[in-house]
Amino acid sequence: MSAPTRPWSAGDPLRRALALLDVDRTRVALAVALGVLSLGSAVALAAVAAWLIARASQMPPVLELSVATVAVRAFGIGRGTFRYVERLTSHDVALRGMATLRTTLYERVATGRVGAALALRRGDLLARVGADVDTVGDAVVRGLLPAAVAAVLGVGTAVAMALFLPAAGLALAVCLVLAGVVSPALAARAARTSEARAIEARAAVASVSLGVLDAPGPVTVAGLLPRELDALRSADAALARAVDAGARPAALSAALGQLAVGLAVLAALVLGVPALTAGMIAPVELAVLVLTPLAAFEATAVLPAAAIQVQRSRAAAARVLALLDEATSDGTAPDGTASDEMGRDRPVPVGAAVPGDAPDPLRRSTPASDAELAPSSACPPEPAAVASAAAADAGPSGATQQPASSATLAARDLACGWPGREPVVRGLDLDVRPGRSVAVVGPSGTGKTTLLLTLAGLLPARGGSLTLGGLPPGALPRPEVTSRVVLTTEDAHLFETTVLENLRVARGDVTDDEARAALDRAGLTAWLAGLPDGLATPLGADGRNVSGGERRRLLLARALLSRAPLLLVDEPAEHLDTATADRLVRDLLTTGTDPLAAGPGSPAAPGSPARPGSPAGPPARGVVVVTHRLSALDAADEVLVLRDGRVAARGTHAQLLASDAGYREAQAREQHEDREDP
Amino acid sequence: MKPLDPRLLRHARAARSYIALTVVLGTVVAALVVAQALLLAHALAAAVHDGATLAEIGPQVVWIAAVVAVRALVAGVQERFAHRAATRVIGDLRAQLVERSALLGPRWTVEGDGSRVVTLATRGIDALEPYFVRYLPQLVLAATVTPATLVVILGLDWVSAAIVAGTIPLVPLFMVLVGRLTQGRSERGLRVMQRLGSQVLDLLAGLATLRAFGRELGPVARVRELGDAHRRATMGTLRVAFLSGMVLELLTTLSVALVAVGIGLRLVYGELDLVTGLAVLVLAPEVYLPLRQVGAQFHASTDGVAAAEQVFAVLETPLPARGTRPAPDLRTASLRLRGVGVRAPGRDVLAPAGLDLDVRPGRVVALTGPSGSGKTTAVDVLLGLVRPDHGTVELVAPDGTATALADVDPTTFWAQLTWLPQRPLLEPGTLADVVTGGADVTPGRRDAAAALTGLDAVVAAAPLGWATPVGRGGDGLSVGQRQRAALTRALLGTAPLVVLDEPTAHLDAAGEQVVLDAVAALREAGRTVVLVAHRASLVAVADEVVAVRPAELPAGLSPGAGPSAARPEVVA
Repeated sequence: MSAPTRPWSAGDPLRRALALLDVDRTRVALAVALGVLSLGSAVALAAVAAWLIARASQMPPVLELSVATVAVRAFGIGRGTFRYVERLTSHDVALRGMATLRTTLYERVATGRVGAALALRRGDLLARVGADVDTVGDAVVRGLLPAAVAAVLGVGTAVAMALFLPAAGLALAVCLVLAGVVSPALAARAARTSEARAIEARAAVASVSLGVLDAPGPVTVAGLLPRELDALRSADAALARAVDAGARPAALSAALGQLAVGLAVLAALVLGVPALTAGMIAPVELAVLVLTPLAAFEATAVLPAAAIQVQRSRAAAARVLALLDEATSDGTAPDGTASDEMGRDRPVPVGAAVPGDAPDPLRRSTPASDAELAPSSACPPEPAAVASAAAADAGPSGATQQPASSATLAARDLACGWPGREPVVRGLDLDVRPGRSVAVVGPSGTGKTTLLLTLAGLLPARGGSLTLGGLPPGALPRPEVTSRVVLTTEDAHLFETTVLENLRVARGDVTDDEARAALDRAGLTAWLAGLPDGLATPLGADGRNVSGGERRRLLLARALLSRAPLLLVDEPAEHLDTATADRLVRDLLTTGTDPLAAGPGSPAAPGSPARPGSPAGPPARGVVVVTHRLSALDAADEVLVLRDGRVAARGTHAQLLASDAGYREAQAREQHEDREDP
Repeated sequence: MKPLDPRLLRHARAARSYIALTVVLGTVVAALVVAQALLLAHALAAAVHDGATLAEIGPQVVWIAAVVAVRALVAGVQERFAHRAATRVIGDLRAQLVERSALLGPRWTVEGDGSRVVTLATRGIDALEPYFVRYLPQLVLAATVTPATLVVILGLDWVSAAIVAGTIPLVPLFMVLVGRLTQGRSERGLRVMQRLGSQVLDLLAGLATLRAFGRELGPVARVRELGDAHRRATMGTLRVAFLSGMVLELLTTLSVALVAVGIGLRLVYGELDLVTGLAVLVLAPEVYLPLRQVGAQFHASTDGVAAAEQVFAVLETPLPARGTRPAPDLRTASLRLRGVGVRAPGRDVLAPAGLDLDVRPGRVVALTGPSGSGKTTAVDVLLGLVRPDHGTVELVAPDGTATALADVDPTTFWAQLTWLPQRPLLEPGTLADVVTGGADVTPGRRDAAAALTGLDAVVAAAPLGWATPVGRGGDGLSVGQRQRAALTRALLGTAPLVVLDEPTAHLDAAGEQVVLDAVAALREAGRTVVLVAHRASLVAVADEVVAVRPAELPAGLSPGAGPSAARPEVVA
């Protein structure tokens, strides 16, 4: 994907999104055919019934009517039956397309620029994406298929009437266009007008509602509720005015739709009666000409709604595509430096990672059978895990095939920041390798998280150099990077599944024992004991039923379970009491000298088939911890003090205490507390 | 699920006049439908049977034109007002919903129904629009056009009327039957669909995390499988749901066909004249049309009906009885908690448990305890936002008279306190508005307070200084800056009681000093402070320290404990 794809430039977003649905043309044709048969039955029923009654009034032999009487009944049955099958077919088409679009969306965001993935952390955007995909699918069922059916049927009916009397056929065609094209166009315009004017009002309504509902306690206690409700009412009133603006064309559309039916009947009468008088048509044919149009408009009746649906779907498609484009656009956009980020376009990640991930429970399980996934099912040796284990072994022991330097992260004069924005960290030199622990401290908002994202290869370096094992992380396939360095951010996601499965995000083959050990180490022993189903207890959506401190420790346990030799951990001890916080940070900083297996796993490490022959002593880890508590940092090999986006001071804890006044002061304050801590 | 819930009329005033208008228009439409059918039948019969010329049927044609014009007009008027009414009703219900939810308190909004209110208020409730614009008018037509046309058919030809009248009761009967048979299946299907949908969204939400561990490609197949499963589940539901639609269409179309055949056969034997036959033929589908439309719009409107029901459920959730007594003056009265225990949501734990606490005027009280011990809940109890499951909360006047907090009018109590929750609430406005809250504060006092909290640096760095606009919820400020602004506001306020929940959580050591200074300033001003504190430095400035402890509930005592449905699925 070398040419930048920008939203809107490649034509109608709905067309592009529909292409992504990748619908099966045969199924679409089938759905249209069934729709035409269904509504065609209704039209035929009207025509044959009109013929039957007009002919019967001429009192012919009964036998002459028998075909018509049978046909009328058959059409009566056909209509409902065809309709049922048509609805199922069209929904199936749309649902298949939506599944494809969702998968494409996931795939592209998974492999594209990280900004899109991080943006999806926002709940509102996420919910909107989910709804938008549905809305794009709705365009098929409620928009395009009914339009196709109406077009085929309208042409067919008009032609059929023209065979009796060309002028009547033409008049019907004009009325059908009025009802099936003009009226829907007006309806769509109405929807567009009110939507456009209502955007601001809707946003205001949502923001006031959220403001109150997110913090009902503070709002009521502060006595702000009446004022907020007034604000909500006036926002809703503005919304009503905006919607009113679209009501006029909507009313015109509805009136035109109704008018077209009446006009068609009138026209048939006014044109047909003189034709009858002139002997151009038979009396019976006049009845057919006048009474058939009433049924033909059933197909056009749904088109205004269809036009509005297409309108909505187009807006939804534009949003979905914007997300896709954000994920897949070339990073050249703002500054030209971001291209090639994360090896995005390399075939390697997809091609190589899939077999590597084969035992991954995420891929294995089906919804029906995902209830139980024994760890053993995830056990065949996996190349990726072997690679990571090998990398893990590449510590000071060095007795492995992979050179130690492959898990060495080296930053020189590194600048970090989001693409298109000013770097927030500059001039950073940093070396991390297994066995070495680094702490980064500094006030909030100094870019510590951005720094970690960059070190993890998730954001491109904005200046200077960053190498992982001698190569820039962006030049390595993603699995290569994540087998050596993993990151746990402050806001990392807890999935709506069990505790164990959440820990298995680190790697797919975590056993119960390993999970328990990691939770113990993260200080969650008591918490685990209090869970109704232990490791099998489901966490709520995004871990909403765990406390802030429990959440941090779960994330820490997950990080500890990873086999990557380098761990980057963001604020592991926030929301914890100081004693626990210090113990955890110290433990994490000294993990570099811990045996990996004895940490998260049992000594026998039965769940680590990928490391059976771990030959030499304890494998080492490199750790970068971002924190703002200093007391535990005596355990770090090096402490970096960030101020205003630069390294203001660095050294060991002891050196900094000796040399940096601010550091000394902050530490003194903490120690003062610790002495007084009850 | 009633088609027209009387509660709608009760709760939303805008709905009443709209429904009245719809009924009037529906009656007019019924008259027009009958008139058009009769006029058309006369004109057509005259031409077909008697060979009348256009001039001879001229009057009928003119009348038909008039009827057509009026029908178009009525359709336009209905549409014109439907949207307006829908927006008004939705706005009205939304305001009531938000107000009720806020009054039901923080506990309610995180548990059960409460957690869905945000979605309901911002999106779900909008589903009422199709209900009002599409469904309700058809419902009214079913009540006007259907009986009117049926009566006219009866007057014209009782045999056809009997066929139609015989099938009409079958329509709801079959619908109910199909509905009954399929309800369980549909609901199960819906639940599965929702679950599968939310799992895909959960994977998307966690994508950044999966990428950080290099596990992002594994779930691609999983997403595809979930999509397929979603489709199968949906199709299963639809196969059943569309059955009722098919029964409806089959019944109505078939009976029109039967009417046509019956008329035809009787015409042959001269038992019926052509005018009557044509009129009945035109009218018969009109009897069913509103019913079919109701059926067609029904699925589209069920979301609206469901949303309305959820709204009514919230509006009818009884509010905890509000006290009526005025709160005593907190400058002299103290708060007393004895043996307070609150069950933690979804866990067999009381957090806090057995909490005794006295907040005396002018004292600084710190609440400490490990995370999860219930400190924030203790604050909610203290503020009267959560009623404890055990123990008492009282306000004690200097003369020793104790009033239960539950008996006190909360507004008189809240007016005397300032609360800084973990995420401080800021009103939109300029930075100056935010810290003064519209109160009359001299710039000198304001700047002094800002200097104390470190907000002065924020103001100095902001392009517009004190006039810098701050969005709702503090948009434009970092968390730490918001905390400083909220602290400044607490300092400038006059409320005798200040409650600070983890004020240092997002601050570093230097920021912490700011909080300590602020607490000291509050103490000097003679104000009472309740602190939730993790850090020992904060604990050190307190006059009294109270440890908050959780306790496990004895097994069997926990009402509905634990997440009920065990769901050990492998999502990640």
